[in-house]
Amino acid sequence: VMSKNKGSESVKVVVRCRPLNRKEESNGPAGGIVQMDLRLGQVILRNPRASASEPQKTFTFDAVYDASSKQRDLYDESVRPLIDSALAGFNGTIFAYGQTGTGKTYTMQGVWLDPEKRGVIPNAFDHIFTHISRSQSDKQYLVRASYLEIYREEVRDLLDPNHGTARALELRESPDTGVYVRDLTSCVCKSIKEIEEVMNVGNQARAVGATDMNEHSSRSHALFLITVECSQPGPDGRKHIRVGRLNLVDLAGSERQAKTGVQGDRLKEAAKINLSLSALGNVISALADGRSGHVPYRDSKLTRLLQDSLGGNAKTVMVATLGPAPQHYEETLTTLRYANRAKNIQNQPRVNEDPKDALLREFQREIARLRAQLNHRKWRSKQKKEQVEGEGWERDGDEETEGEDEVEVEVEKEAQEYVKLEEQRLEREKEAIREDQFLLAEEKQRLLGEKERMMGDLRKEQEATEQLTAKYKAMESKLLVGGKNIIDHTNEQQKMLEMKRQEIAEQSRSEREMQQQMLVQDEETLELRETFTSLQQEVEAKTKKLKKLYAKLQCIKAEIQDVNDEHVRSRQELEQTQNELTRELKFKYLIIENFIPPEEKNKIMNRLTFDPEEDQWKFQPLVPAESHCVFFLCCRPRTSCFWSWT
Amino acid sequence: MASLSSDEWRAICDKFTNAQNLTEVESRNDPENDPFRSKYKARELLREIYCSLKSFEVSEGEEDGGGESAGLRAAKLGAVEYYLGVNHVDTEELSAGQEHLMNCMKLLGRCSVSSENVSLFIHVRNQLGILWAGRDETETAQGFLETAESIYQHYMKEDGSPPTDMTEYFTTEEKLLTHQERTKRFELAYTHTMYYLAQVYKNLGQTERAATYCHSTLQRQLQLNQFNPMEWALNAATLSQYYITKGRYMEGRHCLSAATVISGLAGEVPSEATENERREQLRQKRAEIARCWIKYCLNLLQDAKKLLEDNIGELDTDRQDELKRARRGEEEEEEKGRKSALLFGSEDTFDSIASLEEKVRCLFPLDFTEARAVFLVGQNYVTQAKEYFQMDGYVTDHIEILQDHSALFRALAFFEEDLERRCKMHKRRVDMLEPICTDLNAQYYLMIRRQLMFELAETYSEMMDLKLTLANRQADTQSLDSHTIKKFNHLCSASAKYFQMFLDSLCSPEGKVPEHLEEEVLRPALVARFRVARLHSRLISSSPSVQLDNLNRSLENYKYVVQYCETHPEAATTVETELELSKEMVGLLPLKINRLKARMAANN
Repeated sequence: VMSKNKGSESVKVVVRCRPLNRKEESNGPAGGIVQMDLRLGQVILRNPRASASEPQKTFTFDAVYDASSKQRDLYDESVRPLIDSALAGFNGTIFAYGQTGTGKTYTMQGVWLDPEKRGVIPNAFDHIFTHISRSQSDKQYLVRASYLEIYREEVRDLLDPNHGTARALELRESPDTGVYVRDLTSCVCKSIKEIEEVMNVGNQARAVGATDMNEHSSRSHALFLITVECSQPGPDGRKHIRVGRLNLVDLAGSERQAKTGVQGDRLKEAAKINLSLSALGNVISALADGRSGHVPYRDSKLTRLLQDSLGGNAKTVMVATLGPAPQHYEETLTTLRYANRAKNIQNQPRVNEDPKDALLREFQREIARLRAQLNHRKWRSKQKKEQVEGEGWERDGDEETEGEDEVEVEVEKEAQEYVKLEEQRLEREKEAIREDQFLLAEEKQRLLGEKERMMGDLRKEQEATEQLTAKYKAMESKLLVGGKNIIDHTNEQQKMLEMKRQEIAEQSRSEREMQQQMLVQDEETLELRETFTSLQQEVEAKTKKLKKLYAKLQCIKAEIQDVNDEHVRSRQELEQTQNELTRELKFKYLIIENFIPPEEKNKIMNRLTFDPEEDQWKFQPLVPAESHCVFFLCCRPRTSCFWSWT
Repeated sequence: MASLSSDEWRAICDKFTNAQNLTEVESRNDPENDPFRSKYKARELLREIYCSLKSFEVSEGEEDGGGESAGLRAAKLGAVEYYLGVNHVDTEELSAGQEHLMNCMKLLGRCSVSSENVSLFIHVRNQLGILWAGRDETETAQGFLETAESIYQHYMKEDGSPPTDMTEYFTTEEKLLTHQERTKRFELAYTHTMYYLAQVYKNLGQTERAATYCHSTLQRQLQLNQFNPMEWALNAATLSQYYITKGRYMEGRHCLSAATVISGLAGEVPSEATENERREQLRQKRAEIARCWIKYCLNLLQDAKKLLEDNIGELDTDRQDELKRARRGEEEEEEKGRKSALLFGSEDTFDSIASLEEKVRCLFPLDFTEARAVFLVGQNYVTQAKEYFQMDGYVTDHIEILQDHSALFRALAFFEEDLERRCKMHKRRVDMLEPICTDLNAQYYLMIRRQLMFELAETYSEMMDLKLTLANRQADTQSLDSHTIKKFNHLCSASAKYFQMFLDSLCSPEGKVPEHLEEEVLRPALVARFRVARLHSRLISSSPSVQLDNLNRSLENYKYVVQYCETHPEAATTVETELELSKEMVGLLPLKINRLKARMAANN
């Protein structure tokens, strides 16, 4: 509740560590390097190569989940509030980030069939549809899902049946809705089952398209997009639509992500040379990167698609996943540092109210139009019937209920009745014509034909009405009405249980927040408290303060030590290089002294000049007039030297 | 071929062809779990060739004086070492690769450069350059590549005949290459040297040299007819953006003209199959080139403006005369520069590039007529670019183009002496930006809208100043007629409105003013406050109570600037003049307000 009052809010970052696997356990007695304080939301990382006295690195996050944490805990505490706000019309994004093999997919997807191990995505599906089924019946919902992946800067639609062959999709922008993917398939989902089916189809497409799944998944980003539109009558009597968009993002492995960066940093490669001339454009655009010029190359697709989630209009949760094994120390530290930075990204979430592109509105309009057409038909048939009644063929005294819900039933019934009546009437007329002795045979035939035609028309009209009704029904079935379309199987007790669980999650979240705040305030109060009732107390307080400061000091010392170590290392390296160079130099001198007579040496020395432009020593040409040879490939001692020495 | 029978030789040639095929063709189909299978096979073959050659050399050495020269033998052995080196580098065995490449260097060290081996001389240095650059030893790489460059230049000066390609060392006589093919391969190797040097200089931070080498690479691609027109054109256009930001408009213009002409070549070969998609791509790339042209015109105008501006932003006529006198020399300079510059073009494109260049000058425009000519060219490209980058689908691009268009008008207005017409130019800017600013979704286009609001506010303010100057010129001072006052007030409040909108966009959704301004909006936000304050104090009203209101609002905003800088001392440096003036006004305005209040009390 607190966070909703603030205009901008940071990206929520939670960290999860997977248990050691069997292989890692057998690797050594060292155990994990990651320690977690669930109460404080802290991760303590131990450097496996450092001495025991070295203080460990501590990071604080919104929540942390250790090896024993349950999927449910993570969902209830960290994801549920985000889904709730998406249902209320906010944009929400969940990222999974981490080195390949640290449990990103387990966290996002989990084991679908085991309720205990279901990940964020299936739990979110469940959450959305349960919410709809329990909401007021004056709310109408429309749920849509899309699934795409970004691989090598190409956006591919995973729900397109021709996924493999279809060409890459383009990103476009509209003034009303910002960046969107053109021609992206979007499936209307009416139940958990349907949306799960959508997800499965996409997952299969992803697997089929890749030649090497491991390589592929560690380089491609997968985005599952859910749009929940909700229409509800407002106090002004008009229907208001809120659109919540939910992006569930499985990022490529962080070992590569760290290099590309989600925040839109240009790909920073080492000084490697690009061999192919087709990359000339990259070289040139790196030179032309200026403010006043136009550089015709764009940001990465992922950055453009998610620009709202990172510093934009969205609530964002980032789940960073860690591996506890000592050999992953470096990667783990990188992930933690990255996650720590992500905490500082500020978002400005706003409710998307009555956006112009809401599909729900379109659906409602279409339904209204169809209903109007049906009503019109009904009215026409009624009129005709009244005519018929007027002629006194048969009386039919039933009254109409104008209730809109029963419209289609009504119309169908009416239509059937009307057709029956008409048919009867036509039959009778035909009979009458046949029986009419006075009419000429020809005339008889003509009249009969006319009647036949009228029967045909009648049937056609009936068919058209049926089609319209079917269309109307199909349209309406896509809309979900709160508390109606999905039957909620859970009984009251279970509901209560869920409520309680949510409350507990909320509690523990706020407890953690308070703990973190307390920690900060503790320090402040210690500093502030200056009046002491007794010397004893003063000593105690000061000792406490001293201890705290000492711990801080140790931390900083360790940092300094780190930096120092690095310097020492590089100094040692430099020293070593220097030694090598000195040795080589001595060796060269030795050669010169022993193999080259002093006069030869002097001659050579006199010919040497330093070329400052090329930063190297060069020989002056022996004979100045000769065409100067620029490239001296190697200089071999002249054989004459040997003669003179021997 | 004294000791090597022709059969043996043929076997070697076959092995070589096989190895080449394995390296270049087969290796693409290697499975993921055995990615270097073909390369390893090729390596074996190369080793076998090496052994055969070596044993041949030994026997040959005894006999001494066979058919072929010792130099060619060394080159052949060197070539095998070269291929082995490349093979090892490709399979990520860098030190082994380096050793082979250095062996090649050693073998070549015994020979002098000739048409028989110059190609190998260059290739091996290219490879060593790549190798060392990959190890972050950029200087070492630079050394190898620069030597390759000088070897090429020396060879072309001294000899210049089409040199033997390395593959020819191991082909039977009937398969030797034509002179044309030899030249093509040799020149391509040197193009790569240029290209690698461009990257090396870029990595060393020597952007100017890097740009020159990119330029040469492009030039050579064109000369040797080894390019994709659209890709080439886009690269040339991008390079122009480097030049214009460095103030080198002649080079910039040349790149752009070449880009336009060469991109035209791409359209002449439409393929049937993917017709639609391709046409779309062509359209997009041409629009990108048009946008580069817009920037050329805009920067030229803006730089000229900076040159001619006096300290209050008006045209400095003394400076103008001075520059006009200096012009003659500059024109000669241009002519000279044009002759010595690195020119693009083949025989058939040369003229069209030159005629395109003549359409717009590369010297700074010094008066309205010259500025207008540049403006019109720019405006023409605005229309072209907008045809592809339409609002629907390319919002950001479309608006960027509009912003450039507006900036073109702004720069042109500087040269316009007639204030009435200058005002109309600003009106055009308002007309093109205002509707967009209101149409855009405030959530998704926050940044762009902020830019637009600020620009609109400034434009209205400029129009207001112009109207006032005009009115003061016509009538006696202090006695403005009611129509002018109305107009003035309208412009003044419109400007204040947009500044206020900008400031509101910084607030939280609940409308709270942020306590701390982000760095990128710090200066604009404080300047906007300052301007709002100023505008409110300038509104003309006969009613004392309205006057009082305006003055109070003005004071409020001045105070904000001063207070913010007090609580955030780091902000003070970004708005020095504004802060100084604000402080002064915070001192003075209360006096004025009190006087007004006293007058009001007296009247009541």
